[in-house]
Amino acid sequence: MSAVYPLSEAGAAGDLRDRLVAGADVALADLTPWPRFGLKGAGAEAWFADRVDLPEVNRVTEGAGLRVLRLGTRDIMVLSTDAEGSPVQPLRSAWEAAPQSYSSWREETWAWLRLTGPKATAVARRLTAFDLRAAAFGESDIAQTRFAHQDGVLLRTGDGFDVLFDIASTAKVVTDIRAAIDREEVFG
Amino acid sequence: MSRLPPPYGSRIDRSRSLAFTFEGRRFEGHPGDTIASALAANGQWMLSRSFKYHRPRGAMSFAGTDANTLVQVGPEPNVAADLTPLEDGMEIAAQNVNGSLARDRDAVIGRFARFLPVGFYYRTFMGPTKDAWLKLWEPRIRAKAGLGVIGADAPDIAVDKATWHADVAVIGGGPAGIAAALEAARAGSDVVLIDDQPALGGHLAYTPEAGAVGELVAEVDGAADIRVLTDTICTGLFEDNWLALARRDRLIRLRAAEVVLATGCIEQPAIFHQNDLPGVLTAGGVRRLMHLYGVAPGRRAVVYAADPEGYRVAEELRAAGVEVAAIVDPAPGAAAPEGMRVVAGHIAAARGVSHVTGVEVGGEGIACDTLVVAAGEVPAWQLPAQAGAKLGYDDATGRFVLDLETPGVRLAGGLAGEGATPVGAPPMAPHPKGKDFIDFDEDLQVKDILNAVKEGYSELELVKRFSTVGMGPSQGRHSALATARLVAGATGRSVGEIGVTTARPPTAPETLGALAGPHHVAERRTALHREHLRLGAEMRPVGAWWRPYLYGSGDRSALIEAEVRAVRDGVGVLDVSTLGTLEVRGPDASAFLDRLYTMAHATQPVGKVRYCLMLNEMGTVIDDGVAYRLAEDRFYVTATTGAVPRVYADMAFWNAQWRLDVDVVNLTAGFAGFNITGPFARDVVAALDGDIDFSAEAFPYLTGRSGQVAGVPVHAMRIGFTGELSFELHCPASRAGDLWAAILAAGEPVGLKPYGLEASRILRLEKGHILIGQDTDALTSPEELGFGWAVSKKKPFFVGKRALEMRRRLGSTRKLAALTFAPDAELPGESCLVLRSGAPVGHVTSVAHSPTLGHGIALAFIHAEDAEEGRRVAIRARSGRMVEGTVVGHAFYDPQNERQML
Repeated sequence: MSAVYPLSEAGAAGDLRDRLVAGADVALADLTPWPRFGLKGAGAEAWFADRVDLPEVNRVTEGAGLRVLRLGTRDIMVLSTDAEGSPVQPLRSAWEAAPQSYSSWREETWAWLRLTGPKATAVARRLTAFDLRAAAFGESDIAQTRFAHQDGVLLRTGDGFDVLFDIASTAKVVTDIRAAIDREEVFG
Repeated sequence: MSRLPPPYGSRIDRSRSLAFTFEGRRFEGHPGDTIASALAANGQWMLSRSFKYHRPRGAMSFAGTDANTLVQVGPEPNVAADLTPLEDGMEIAAQNVNGSLARDRDAVIGRFARFLPVGFYYRTFMGPTKDAWLKLWEPRIRAKAGLGVIGADAPDIAVDKATWHADVAVIGGGPAGIAAALEAARAGSDVVLIDDQPALGGHLAYTPEAGAVGELVAEVDGAADIRVLTDTICTGLFEDNWLALARRDRLIRLRAAEVVLATGCIEQPAIFHQNDLPGVLTAGGVRRLMHLYGVAPGRRAVVYAADPEGYRVAEELRAAGVEVAAIVDPAPGAAAPEGMRVVAGHIAAARGVSHVTGVEVGGEGIACDTLVVAAGEVPAWQLPAQAGAKLGYDDATGRFVLDLETPGVRLAGGLAGEGATPVGAPPMAPHPKGKDFIDFDEDLQVKDILNAVKEGYSELELVKRFSTVGMGPSQGRHSALATARLVAGATGRSVGEIGVTTARPPTAPETLGALAGPHHVAERRTALHREHLRLGAEMRPVGAWWRPYLYGSGDRSALIEAEVRAVRDGVGVLDVSTLGTLEVRGPDASAFLDRLYTMAHATQPVGKVRYCLMLNEMGTVIDDGVAYRLAEDRFYVTATTGAVPRVYADMAFWNAQWRLDVDVVNLTAGFAGFNITGPFARDVVAALDGDIDFSAEAFPYLTGRSGQVAGVPVHAMRIGFTGELSFELHCPASRAGDLWAAILAAGEPVGLKPYGLEASRILRLEKGHILIGQDTDALTSPEELGFGWAVSKKKPFFVGKRALEMRRRLGSTRKLAALTFAPDAELPGESCLVLRSGAPVGHVTSVAHSPTLGHGIALAFIHAEDAEEGRRVAIRARSGRMVEGTVVGHAFYDPQNERQML
């Protein structure tokens, strides 16, 4: 059997899969199963610096099917830009073959949702007090903030956002985001 | 319907009608009307009765600045009739009425006004007996309290909440606000423009120059970087320009780099006998009625023109076909408007019972049905004051003036003094017949304020508290200036020295829905949440987590007892995924744990599991768990479910303080854990397909092994909470399903049974294991728990060590003890007091009936001198009866620890 994540059919929040939407104005998708890999602690910076284009803290670089997130000086992770995530696995394998630094276990501890569409920002304003204006939160920025009443990591993706948060709270977060989407429809 | 023809009535849509009722009578209005304008158009001016004397009252300003427009709309009380848009089918009722609005039985109170002087509440309701307030007065006052009724069947109102950011927030959508917004937008700023009206324009919108509004609004609409919020009130300006923007069904929290306040001015009423009668209107009120709603205020008007604005309004009234009987001017200028009579002087009184029928000026009576008052205005000081503005007074204009030096906040338009014209201070002598109201909300007359000063309350804040001036819904908008003038005159000080009372948020009423936090209940699910449901678990919240309380349905006691017996006699499995799990790694990992926990970890061999006890700097036990040494530089550490966020935060704090080379990661949500426990536990784990040797020799008690089980990577630990042979398998949460399925399959031949939290609670209590937080409190030391063995005597430092040594010298009078009860004895509840010679010395922390032992067992804090095995202690049960418990050793079940060592 393979990994099961909260919004998988048999997952802990599998009963709430209908909260995800694929509308023209706003879409909410679950990317939790998408490959990612991170190291945290002594040696993380050096290990990644040899292999990827390492950004400054709280910034993202993107290229070759990877997004590299610098969450702290020694807290770095890569996200796949698609469901297959072919560039992620070689990195993981290389680390497993000769471990340096320590796994941050983000693929287990964080869920990953993507909120996109022309109304994504209006929806997100209902979920975070963070300044989402483009001038304050650019395409390469990371916001480690509160989102949907949880600690979350927020990134820009196209006309929307990716958010990484406590995986055990997926049911609650997906419910709250959907409620904000519904409120945007009612209140505009 | 007395509507004026277009272009009057710019806000109403005459092509459609809305039907509504007021006091049971049917009326019609138009979309765009407010409740009050629609009623005025139908000749219904009286909206409510006053708070104290039940005098007839109506709208005066049509701007939401007076309190007497509050009405009941369906289940919702205190709806401002002069601001609230009319809706089809509204059922509206007057408030504070005994009988009907037209015939209010309590109107008689007004005749006894002389017996109800200012402050009479404080004297009257204290007597005649000691408890008179509670027994006599409060019930009567509650029955009389008249500000509407909250309907128990009121529908839920969804309130939308969001947080916005902007470079510039402009509050007030009049000409000054619009100009500021446009200028900021042209300079490249991102602007939010807020106005409390349904459309922009401010006072321009209700003047003959209203046509200019269209151009301004078009310019605003064309500016890409201006977001407009109409029907929205800024109810508070907080630190760093954090603004609360409220609409009935929406609350926006806006953070702006710069704020421009352009909320304009508040017209002031004039002070004369019966200045509160319906038909007395402010100049702005008349203009709003005519220009916005197309309603003629009456047929024959007198205009009081202490402010030159009165002359312009008189012209507008005449143009609208309203006869102007006279203009009353305290200081007439050279030329009277052609065809109008100007009378020098002040209004002495208005005549009429439920509506104005005339006025008295210098002993002359002039018949009219409308009295228009232009008596000056004050800047809307509330938001500037919240921003730190100082208030002064300008004798020339008769206005308050604002001085604001707070960076990032500016004043514009009327707030900055633009357009101020000289308005002389009116005479403030009390009228012999009274009813010269200063505060319409609280029915306070001139003599009430003067009497408050005479009583010795010469400071404004004291006058307010004694008289209640400014405490009503209009919050001093119409009373502050007059009160300041009265107190200044009575105390020989200047108006500026008196000033106004503190202006706190909210500046306008907010719905409770806007204030209430949304119903967010944290919910965390373990990876196997739905598997537990499939197995028939009754789920219960434990903090934020949902956990199986028991499995199955039916007799709960029997189900729980069966789960306990399964563990004692066979084997059970508990989902312990909520247990806090942390990985502490780095070259200094063991040094870090040595400083954080009470036991020694530097000497802990790889593959060993060691108990962890965490103290705070007071020496109080705050958490416990185990540390499994995975490698020289890596520990897998557990923490209690409820405390792990705090433990992780503390670790991060100490790591920053100590600057050791350590990293901590909180794995709690990312790792699942299953405790397989019972005499047949090894049969289950040995049957699992994997590379870990679970034999007693290869895997002794308090060791850990990592490897693959059923194709899933696991950390396995021989630890236990139940007192039975136990193996705890932890794995990444995404693989929990595979591992769980493999465990259930491997356990089937030996009858493996999942068990829930209640059985776990009983099992651990039988074994005498404590739960931090349940069996400890904010002062519990390791000694009180009998945990001296878990505190290193050799380590030079750990958090809490110093405090522990000091507390040891002080000694403790209590100890946590295990108590047993006779099989048929009544059991005390948790928190029941332990008494010694009648005095409380401790309390019960955990209690249960032990299915294994057949009698009651408990952990309790008792007096330290009683903590010897065999001693009996007295506990007061919930029934009030005393019960006796007998002290036993550290465990009720298997005190020799033979079973867990199997």
